[in-house]
Amino acid sequence: MLTCHQVAEEATEYMEGAGARTRRLRVWAHLRVCPNCREYLRQLSRTIGLARRALAPPPAAEVEDELAAIFAAHGKGAAE
Amino acid sequence: MAAEAVLVARLRANDQAAFRELVRARHGRLLRLAGAFCRNRASAEEVVQETWLAVITGLHGFSGEAPLAAWINGILVNKAKTRAVRDGRMVNFSDLARQESEGDAFEPERFLPDGHWAEQHRPWDALTPEREAGDRELLAGVGEALDKLPPAQRAVVLLRDVEGLESPAICQALGISDANLRVLLHRARVKLRDAADRMVRG
Repeated sequence: MLTCHQVAEEATEYMEGAGARTRRLRVWAHLRVCPNCREYLRQLSRTIGLARRALAPPPAAEVEDELAAIFAAHGKGAAE
Repeated sequence: MAAEAVLVARLRANDQAAFRELVRARHGRLLRLAGAFCRNRASAEEVVQETWLAVITGLHGFSGEAPLAAWINGILVNKAKTRAVRDGRMVNFSDLARQESEGDAFEPERFLPDGHWAEQHRPWDALTPEREAGDRELLAGVGEALDKLPPAQRAVVLLRDVEGLESPAICQALGISDANLRVLLHRARVKLRDAADRMVRG
């Protein structure tokens, strides 16, 4: 039986469906009987969803204005 | 995808409001991604600026085969790499991967000597779907946790989990092996999960 430590180390490999089949089966067998590791993997997987939605600071107004001006000028040039 | 087709059509029709919408949606994320490739904030900002210029001039050539965000990210990664070479300080992700994979992913005290967790992971009941989608403080906090990761871990998790690239494309972009990628991704996710755990409960 794998230990929680081993399962935790291999969690991403397991979640990505990588690694040898026999190894994945051993992780799966551990998860069946270990609610603590199941919860840990569930949290890792929800973390991916949070990362996807992570917010970044919006651009400074002057940066946005400058880019918008370049966009407008380019559009005009292309239209002529 | 329909909404995206509309946005692209508006951009091609030189709709300024559409362009501002795109800049507001993507600029911060581009800066975050550039930060993993560049050694300082100023060069990351320049790379993002160059990326926007390439987007503006290249929009009419955008095929629409890949999503717009993926196309822009691809431009950014190329610009960031070119820039690093020009500055004579190419970030070698393969070396970084080795450095950032040293030691254990977990502090030893998180496990008992017999290999069991020392801690009980309590369910994230407080993290409702509504919070997951719309808790701005939490999602900004996750963003800050992303910014604190070491650069190779940051590059990998941003490309894979945040921007949704496939592993082979990431390995190629960063010049790292599949094994490197998984180790870096694992370490990044472990740290992000710990940060999220504190925030979800806090």
